[in-house]
Amino acid sequence: MIIECRNLKKTYVADGQAVTAVDDVNLSIAAGDFAIILGHSGSGKTTLLSMIGGLTTPDSGEVLVNGIENWHQSDARLTEMRNQTIGFIFQFASLIPTLTALENILLPLSFGNRKAASSRQARDILAQVGLKDRENAFPAQLSGGQQRRIAIARAFINQPAIILADEPTGDLDEDTEQEILAVFHEYHRQGTTFVVVTHNVHLADSQESPRILHMRKGVLSEENPARTRAA
Amino acid sequence: MQILARQINVLDYALSSLWRRRMKNLSVLLVFTAVIFLVASFQMTTGALTRTAERVLENAPQITLQRMSAGRQVDIPPEYAARLSSIYGISRIVPRVWGYYFDEVTGANLTVMGLATDRMPMGDQLHLALASGSFPGPGSRGSVVLGRAVNDMVQARGSHLLSLFRNDLSMASFEISGVFADATDILTRDLVVMNIDDARDLFRIRGDRATDLCVYVTNPNEINTIARKIADLLPDTRVVTRPQILKTYRVVFGWRSGFGSICLLTALTAFIILAWDKASGLSQEEKREIAILKVLGWQTADILAVRFWESLLVSGISFLVGVTLAFIHVAFFDAALFRPIMVGWSVIFPPFHLVPEMTAQVVLLIFCLSVLPYLAATVIPAWHTASVPADSALSGA
Repeated sequence: MIIECRNLKKTYVADGQAVTAVDDVNLSIAAGDFAIILGHSGSGKTTLLSMIGGLTTPDSGEVLVNGIENWHQSDARLTEMRNQTIGFIFQFASLIPTLTALENILLPLSFGNRKAASSRQARDILAQVGLKDRENAFPAQLSGGQQRRIAIARAFINQPAIILADEPTGDLDEDTEQEILAVFHEYHRQGTTFVVVTHNVHLADSQESPRILHMRKGVLSEENPARTRAA
Repeated sequence: MQILARQINVLDYALSSLWRRRMKNLSVLLVFTAVIFLVASFQMTTGALTRTAERVLENAPQITLQRMSAGRQVDIPPEYAARLSSIYGISRIVPRVWGYYFDEVTGANLTVMGLATDRMPMGDQLHLALASGSFPGPGSRGSVVLGRAVNDMVQARGSHLLSLFRNDLSMASFEISGVFADATDILTRDLVVMNIDDARDLFRIRGDRATDLCVYVTNPNEINTIARKIADLLPDTRVVTRPQILKTYRVVFGWRSGFGSICLLTALTAFIILAWDKASGLSQEEKREIAILKVLGWQTADILAVRFWESLLVSGISFLVGVTLAFIHVAFFDAALFRPIMVGWSVIFPPFHLVPEMTAQVVLLIFCLSVLPYLAATVIPAWHTASVPADSALSGA
């Protein structure tokens, strides 16, 4: 398994009240899976994704990525894992406003193999997300949808084994959404593992053999695993 | 190689980050440069004044003796020198004539010094203080060595002779045999040095008398002891030692510099506190940027390194530019901004040229007072910055 969650639990305190965001979640994702976690706002999807990515510490339980428990490694190794193994697509575009589109895409390479993965590679990905001619634009000069596409391009620049995406098509128009899903489909076909959290139930229709999971009040359940894997 | 490549990438990002916020950084750079310039100018001016005085006084007598009567200085008869010979440790006693000459044409007050250079211990080294020419020898009457201001005055008249009036209004003319070097300006600018017999003739002093006796001692550590013995032996004399004169210069320059430095260090401290406040109170945009970088695989050390390089570049450039401007200010503009504060006391002739002292101590002191506190004020709060939870980027915080 490329990702394995065991008895994951996370509780927040809001307004003096303990709120269980993730409640005893067990999840196994195999390499090459395309897992879609569906759920309403506040169901704990983003918290689960954040724990898988090593950004949030669970109260209890374990997260193993490539067989290594996230929280048993040093901060440096965990950071390296985030840089080399995972590509993040945030709920919001999360671009650095003072960098151009191309510079934002190249950010994950700053401490990696910058020479090997050149600007040309970044331009290729820009072309894939339909923004070939906007490489020198600053985020403020781009629409919300374009910013989202830049963030998606950034997630792919390191050719990560896993993509963790939080509402990746949230504020995109239908045509752009289709373009992005096509990009996902292409990378998935090449073997990239996807874990996507969304409340867009139509997302599942765009991919081959997706695994559909549901998150309700912190509890994860899988929708007929045998059927979704075979679909 | 990987570490080097990583540092180059960090530096690259820091440079581009500085450029992206260029207006803010330029403002910081300008203010910081101005403060460093002022502090450095003060330090260099003080150093230049003290060092110049020390250098000039290197050739001054170790002990100078003046005879006093009714609170006023009077000529010293030759018997006084003979009485001093009973004090053990004195190597040489040389008479000197020192007086002032008011030039009615220019309204300038010249200092006239008559020396017996052949009897002075370092008499053959005196030419080292000159930019050109030589001192009048023992038998060489009718020639003078001039300070730069006096020389300029003579040149402005289109003459090659310095003409002075004796008490009876008869004129004595002197050929110019040398001019003092710039580095000695602080004490020589208004000076006219001549043969002691010429000085006696000019001031109408009896042939065997002098205004001062210059006393040289065998062991410099004994200066104060011998000065005390002289004062006991000749109670009607005023005994001035070279260390006393130097101490007076240091006290005066040090007091003035200290006062100015306190004012400027207050400004520097205020700037550092402002930098600290700015660095510790991160904007939402900066926090978000750090969270994004952490999610994308930047380590806390990388973020600290970026902040370190940014601060080092800003403070380093400010330091270099500030110190360079201070050097130019002191060397080429004679510390024009601080001249009214640092000089202009009664003993020093105001217009003189400063030679700045750039010692390692001065540079290190300014560096420690400026760059190090700025680095601390910006990098330490970056620790808090780097502890921003990375998952805040996911929720758009």
